[in-house]
Amino acid sequence: MNASRDTPVDSSRRRFLINASVLAGGLALGIRAERSDAAQSTPWAPDTASGRELSAWIEITPEDAVIIRVPTPEIGNGAMTQAAMNVTEELACDWSKVRVEFCSMHRDFMEGGVYNRGFLPFFGGHGTNKDRLAYALQLGASARERLKAAAAQRWGVPVADVTAQDSVITHSASGRTLSYGALAADAASITLDAEPALKPQSEWTFLTKASPAKLHIPPLVRGEAVYGIDVQVPGMVHAALRQCPVHGGKLKSYKPEVVLDMPGVRAVVVVDPAKTRGTPVESQATWGFATNQVQSGVAVIADHYWQAKTALEALPVEWDLGAGVNWKDTAMIYAEGEALLDADEAKVLRESGDVNAVTGGRVVEHTYSTPYCENAMIEPLSGTAIVSAGGAEVWCPTQDMLQAYWVAVDETGLKPETVRMHQTYVGGRFGRSTQGDDVRMVVAVAKEYPGVPVKTIWSREDCFEQGRYRTPIFARYRAQLGEDGYPMAVRSRASFIGTHPIYQLPLGYDDQPYFTSGIIPNVHISRNNYPVSVMNGAYRGPCYNTHAFTVETFIDECAVAAGIDPLAYRLHLMSRWDEAWSDCLRVAAEKIGWGRKLPRGEGLGIAISSWPSAAMRGTGTVVCSAAHVAISRAGAIEVKRVDVAFDCGRVANADAVRSQIEGATLFGMNMTLNEQLTIRDGVTEQRNFDSYPMLRLRDPLPDIHVHFEALSGAERIDIIGEAPVGPIGPAIGNAIFQATGKRLRSTPFRNHDLSWS
Amino acid sequence: MAVVNFSVNGQAVQLDADPSTPLLWALRDHLGLTGTKYGCGIAQCGACTVHLNGAATRSCIIPLSAVAGMEVVTIEGLAGEQDHVLQTLWYEMNVPQCGYCQTGIIMAAADLLRRKPDPSDADIDNAITNLCRCGTYPRVRAAIHRAAAQLAGGAA
Ligand code: FES
Ligand code: FES
Repeated sequence: MNASRDTPVDSSRRRFLINASVLAGGLALGIRAERSDAAQSTPWAPDTASGRELSAWIEITPEDAVIIRVPTPEIGNGAMTQAAMNVTEELACDWSKVRVEFCSMHRDFMEGGVYNRGFLPFFGGHGTNKDRLAYALQLGASARERLKAAAAQRWGVPVADVTAQDSVITHSASGRTLSYGALAADAASITLDAEPALKPQSEWTFLTKASPAKLHIPPLVRGEAVYGIDVQVPGMVHAALRQCPVHGGKLKSYKPEVVLDMPGVRAVVVVDPAKTRGTPVESQATWGFATNQVQSGVAVIADHYWQAKTALEALPVEWDLGAGVNWKDTAMIYAEGEALLDADEAKVLRESGDVNAVTGGRVVEHTYSTPYCENAMIEPLSGTAIVSAGGAEVWCPTQDMLQAYWVAVDETGLKPETVRMHQTYVGGRFGRSTQGDDVRMVVAVAKEYPGVPVKTIWSREDCFEQGRYRTPIFARYRAQLGEDGYPMAVRSRASFIGTHPIYQLPLGYDDQPYFTSGIIPNVHISRNNYPVSVMNGAYRGPCYNTHAFTVETFIDECAVAAGIDPLAYRLHLMSRWDEAWSDCLRVAAEKIGWGRKLPRGEGLGIAISSWPSAAMRGTGTVVCSAAHVAISRAGAIEVKRVDVAFDCGRVANADAVRSQIEGATLFGMNMTLNEQLTIRDGVTEQRNFDSYPMLRLRDPLPDIHVHFEALSGAERIDIIGEAPVGPIGPAIGNAIFQATGKRLRSTPFRNHDLSWS
Repeated sequence: MAVVNFSVNGQAVQLDADPSTPLLWALRDHLGLTGTKYGCGIAQCGACTVHLNGAATRSCIIPLSAVAGMEVVTIEGLAGEQDHVLQTLWYEMNVPQCGYCQTGIIMAAADLLRRKPDPSDADIDNAITNLCRCGTYPRVRAAIHRAAAQLAGGAA
């Protein structure tokens, strides 16, 4: 039941084409000089084909602008720009004329998946996916040949006599030229007899050669790039949202009459999981709907956000907190999870040889853990939607457009042909907006105030309270070392804490070469999970970010117990595996000056891991980080320098990769040194950045050196966003051990006393 | 509601709104200037940084009533005819990742360069206390130093 001051008109005749007509209030007032290309400020593509497209991905205007429509959201990793680069390589267009837009999901549905190519096509992390790259190259090549054919036709010369470069077709015999823009309309109606062959990678002139900056930086630095929270559409109102502070709790009662007369307030609406209508046709959602159900909540809708927020704070609400309130503190949750390390039953992930048959040997046995963490992206969750009986339109900063689209269909119960969705720029997220629970909530709120566009914004406090946190993991390892100091047997078990099974990933755990290459003859690795009401989710390199810490700290402990240098120890253990791993170890070690003598309180550490497919040779991205730390007598940690070597095959844009490795290194360092979320009576205790320390410029940040020497040059161009988050933490921890003799087996490191005298 | 008179990016503005509305939300919601971002609302992250009478200020904790008669410059008004040197270098040096925090950082950096045309690392540490979750700090520092060099007319 909702309460409203006025009744909104549910007009299904309302035209659902608000689309690109974003308001710019400041523009009207003259206090904003719009300088950037509108297409790059509001980057979503139109829902219908224009007459002069060369394909659903490529449109060239008479003014020579090349508009490339891509399925990959931009979350900071450059995937949007990368997708446009992929087309550009074969199209042979002038990069300075390229504009890039996010494809229309509505159009993808209506036209049978025109953007749905390759692995996770609508996902923000895979700009260089092999299949999609090949597809984009082909689109570019095809368009280029049609432009050439159009020019040849116009000049009455053989097509073999014309060439294409930098958006110009040239007939060198006569010196004639025509720009792509002048030919695009003709080219659009040309069909090729056969698709042109692609250049071999060795003949690329742009991919792997050029390092252009992200295309949306100009509007971004002028404040014109529209993120999810920035969307403005005519007639829009604002919602401030409160959900039960204990995950899984329900709204018991509320008193809308207390706030309905407050300034600007239009309505108080209830969101209720029972109101989800369900998709009317089979869903194509990437991840399904289990992880994104509506949580019980209440929202105040007002003319302006501040009015909505003020009224929400004044709104009396009572919750039925549910069973989650019984979690008195985090220690109580963790004790349950840790106890599962000793359970009789567990799911076996990997088994080779017979660990039980191995007797004797020096035993190294330890337990490691990492806590709840919050994604803590600087842009809070938000989104805008208008829902009525005849259709819906959604603007959202999602990481997965396909998922978001189908979540909107599922929540409204509307036919997909009546649902439109526009991808905005995305402020960070690091996994938080992959599942679409945010989009569902935005749509659920708007559905209760039909016919009017409603923007819903989570306050920072709500973001912390309503997170889908990093999965806490406990892992125990037991090695029996042989005479030579290397493990004869390793037994390990991990215990994952959380509700969502898709975030109990073993990536980076049992699949590391230590356990798969046969160098350790007897291996037994298993896992358990402990479900709790506190919701877990995707957090940059989900679960991998923990496994890298536990595996690489443990291996370091084995090396120390064996009295063998940790680098030499790893090199031996990698000796039966892809050379890329050893190369990464050697390069990072050499660059940091491995083996050199350091003053007391300083140390070097090294660690290596791979995402997302370490068990398969020549796949994924392997990263080795080496760290130089200094620990003050008072115990303060300074990471002075980090050297990173990696192999992802080849790199399409070297500076984009460098930037991702720098950022991921700082992300992983922050995660390891600082981050921890605690629960009291079922509710998160940290509510804003003042209680959740994060790295700032004034902190002792390392000099980060990214090295390309370990690249294998294999034809794959693998993803880079997640892998570097893994090894930096254990590299720092291993360096701290060298510096102080103190072994840190849990994060955040700030919880440990590292003082020495 | 009350009418508050102030100026934004050189234009006189008369705003009829609750005087307790934070300047951040007045700019974003009432004036449509969304380049100034909300990140925390408690002066922790700096995403909402504007220039208030010339000084970098976190607009999320400044009530509208406090800016009566004052001059506000937002990221949209930072540049003149040409982009500010920081905006140009931010592109050339590929500084932003997701970019959400960057308009606030640029506003803080522009104020720093105005006060200290040749800032030391310590000056940068003290002036740029903004949060960037993507970890662009090394590039932010490098770009500020290069901007200082360019403004001084020296080689970058
Ligand atoms: S929003 Fe103002 S400092 Fe964070
Ligand atoms: S660039 Fe993403 S938060 Fe700074």
